[in-house]
Parts: sequence; structure tokens; C-alpha cells
Amino acid sequence: MSHTGTESLTEPYYSALRRGELIVQHCKACNRTIMYPRHVCPFCQEADLSWIPASGTGTLHSFAVQRVGPPSGFEDDVPFAVGVVKLDDDVQLLGRLWPDEDGDWGRYACDARVVFHGATGLEIERRPVAWFRLAG
Amino acid sequence: MTDVAGRGSPDEAVFIGVGELPSGRYPDRPFMADLVNVAVAAVREAGLAVPDIDTILHIPCLHSPADQADLIFSRVVEELGLQGRAKSSYLVHSGGSTSDNAIRAAAGLIATGRARNVLVVQAEKWGSAPVKEMIDMLTANGIPREWEKQTGLSFNAVGALIQRRYMHASGSTPQDMAAVCVALRQWARLNPNAMYRDRPLTVDQVLASKMITDPLRALECPMLADGAVALVLTSAGNARRLGRDRWVRVAGSGGCVSHYSIGQEADLAVLGWQKASVEAYEEAGWGPEDADLAEVYDSYAAVLTSGLEGLGLAPRGEAARMFAAGTFSPGGRLPVNTNGGLLSAGHTGVGGGTALLAEGVRQLLGRAGPDRQVDGARRAVCGGSGGTYMDSQVLLLEGAGR
Repeated sequence: MSHTGTESLTEPYYSALRRGELIVQHCKACNRTIMYPRHVCPFCQEADLSWIPASGTGTLHSFAVQRVGPPSGFEDDVPFAVGVVKLDDDVQLLGRLWPDEDGDWGRYACDARVVFHGATGLEIERRPVAWFRLAG
Repeated sequence: MTDVAGRGSPDEAVFIGVGELPSGRYPDRPFMADLVNVAVAAVREAGLAVPDIDTILHIPCLHSPADQADLIFSRVVEELGLQGRAKSSYLVHSGGSTSDNAIRAAAGLIATGRARNVLVVQAEKWGSAPVKEMIDMLTANGIPREWEKQTGLSFNAVGALIQRRYMHASGSTPQDMAAVCVALRQWARLNPNAMYRDRPLTVDQVLASKMITDPLRALECPMLADGAVALVLTSAGNARRLGRDRWVRVAGSGGCVSHYSIGQEADLAVLGWQKASVEAYEEAGWGPEDADLAEVYDSYAAVLTSGLEGLGLAPRGEAARMFAAGTFSPGGRLPVNTNGGLLSAGHTGVGGGTALLAEGVRQLLGRAGPDRQVDGARRAVCGGSGGTYMDSQVLLLEGAGR
């Protein structure tokens, strides 16, 4: 995953994604949720951090649909959409958005309610990312 | 420890020279040749000779790690014959906001007497490099490899995330956003060094161009360019002794690092500009209403409109519509990005911010040329931003002289 010695953070997070779960960090000292995962709590700087399941629901702050010129290795993915999701757990992250029934993202809008809907099987192995779809 | 010189002191740092080479695709211009040519041009314009330079601050290039290593390890000192004379030579790097941070470093060195004449120099070969390689290189520059690279995030997508949120928050239309690009092109047409000096642009052309990353179309994405800029700073007292008529002081400075990961930005339509500007205006003793021009980072239209709004140069949510109304175009109320900006002068990597800063200095020195010189320009608001617009850095410049 990385060559920066951050496996202690990436392993639990991506293992959960492969199980179809979205987890975030939690600081026992100050009782705050943390995302992205950190080595020390960004609020109180204590290091006693654990993992908790995320609510999975949130608001789409913004999104972009990549149609042309993706980075290398993503040529077969276009078109694809990335979005910044503000979870109800008071943390936020960048994820992928599932297309609408028509294969595009026309029903998505800023501030729309979205819900975590993990990928499965080969897809999550190939692209270890948090996927979201429109709520409801 | 010497006291840092206060406002208007003879010890404070001032700009006295600017050099620039044309931006665009120039595969026959070697990187090192661009660096030394632009350095010599700036030093001579400052009324100095190369041996007068005792400190070199480098703005990074991103096209080649090997060329960047040459900057770090003082190759330019040797190329310019300054070995044994230069006190120090080093790289400052915060991406697109590097020029702001480099000027702060230079100003501190000069004001404390630790440097006399500082050369800030930049060159980039993005325009001659393979585009695909540069897209991939950028994903390793400011995109978290543990958490976001896996999504396929590109820098155009970063710009699109900001642009979509800005359009949502402000109610700006695709026409309004296209008008930002058109206004910048109008300025570029007046700048002989701009990549697109010879190519007019209309809103219809922008809206007819191919969709790249919704909501950004091809003509709303910056074009990678070669380019080179150099600036020379000394003390105000020294500028006077050198017989200079005009120089440019840094009246105020402020900054705000608002995120590292784009997924962690609290408000993509706001970023850190407002927070950064408070401290800068307070230090300068003047406000946005006193500005004669602005030179603010513009790799995408919404990066610029959110910047102008945070800097108090447009009411919140109105900047794109003001572009459409011509407020910031040649002949408009407030000239903005008078060199054409990154979007029309060319995106020279980290150098795009340096080129905007250099244009601000040039305007206040009265040396922007007959076509685009802003009459009586005395005060300029300059802003840069690095990485995924992780920081908002502000320098308020003021013309001075005898």
C-alpha cells in the first residue's frame, strides 16, 4: 500500500473496506472521531487511538466526474466520480460515487445526502476505496 | 539578534529588479540556460552586477528530480561564477505558494542584515515534458498516497471539486465561470511573454470545448508551460544608495494552511483566503478597497474567484459574475492577473505563482509596458496557493521611491 511505514494505519482501514465496512479512528482520551487515520490524535495529541464503525451516512460537499486524462492505471475506470463526503460522525473523506441507473452522475448534487455502499469481490481488491451512493 | 526593521525603514527588504522569459513550449531552451539567463536579466534590471548577489533562493522545478537536485545543491552558484562569494543558496518549497514564502525568507534575511542582495529565481520545463508523465508526477505532489491516490484523483479533479462547490455556493453559471477564463485571455493578449498572447478566446469557445472533468471543460484547465522568472531584492536604504527611483516594499503578509488532503478541506468554496488576509491588511494599514490591482493564483477559475472574495476584493459569491461584467478585465474597475495568469500566460508549475508576483512587482515599478501598465498603480494584492490549494498565502505590495 505504501512505503512509509504507515501499515499500522492503512491495514485496519483497508481490511475493513474489504469486509464491506467503513471504520474511522476514535480517541479514547478526548472522545473525538478522527479521519484520515493519524498516529496521534489531532485534537489532543494523545496516541491511544482505536477504531469504530462509521455511521456511513453523510452529505456530499462536492464531486468531480473524471472523463478524460486520468492518472496512469485508471484508464479503464473512466468515466468515474470522486466526491468529498462529510460524514454524520463529524469527519470527512474523499471517496468514489456509484453512477446513477443511466450510468452517469446527473442526479448527484452538492449537499445531497449520501450513504456508504462498499464495493465487493474483485472490485474492492482492485480499487480499495470507500464507495458512496445517493441516500434513499 | 538585530531587531527586524519596521515599516518603511531603510533596513526593510524591497524589490528592485524583475526578469522573465516568454512562457509556452520551448523545447530548445535548456533548463539551466533559462535559469541563468533570467537571473542575469533581473540582476541587470536591478542596476546590479551578478557578483553583488550574496544569497540565492530557488523556486523549485517539478519537471525533473535531477534538475531540482541541481537547485538544491548550488549548481546555479557555480554557473553564475559566485562560488566563494555567495553566502547561501537553497530551495524553498511549498508548491504554488513558494514565491510568497521565498519572499518572506528573503525579507527576513535582508532586514536582519544577514543578506544584502537576494536573487529569487525560477525555471520550469512543463511545456516540453510529456503531459501524461506530468499528470502522474502531480499525483505524488500533494495527494495523500495512503488515503486518496487510490480513488484516481487528478489535479483537474481537484480543480473540479473546488469549481463545483463554488458554483453551488454562489449560484454562478457555466457562462460566468467561462468569463473568468476569457478575462484572463484578454490580459494575456497584452503580455508579450504569455503563452496565449496570439489566441483570442470567447465564452462560446470555452463552453463548446470538450468536458474533461465535470464541471471543467478543456479550455478551463491550465496548459502546462515552460517559463522562467527572477526577482532581486535588497534593502530600501541600498536601493536609494544605488540611485534607484522606484522600488516595491512588502507592506503586509499573511497566510493560512487550511488542509493537506483535499478531502479534509472544510469548505472548498472558501479555502484559507479570508483568514490569511486579515493579518496582512492589518500589517499594511490599508484594505482591499485601496488596492489598484490584484495578482491571485488562478490555475482554475474558482480558485481565483474564491481567492478574490476571501481577500475582500469581491463580495462573497459575486466574483465570477463580476468577471462576466468586465470588472476585472482590461479597462475594468480592478485589474486582476494582468499577465494573463496561469490559465492564459501558462501554468509553469510552482512558477505560476512566481510569475503573478513578478507581474505585481513590475506593475508597481511602472515597468509593465505600454499595453497593460495600470496607470498610477501603487498597491497590489498578491496571493499564492500550493498543492491541492492547501494554503492561502498573501503578500500586499506597495510601490515606493524617492
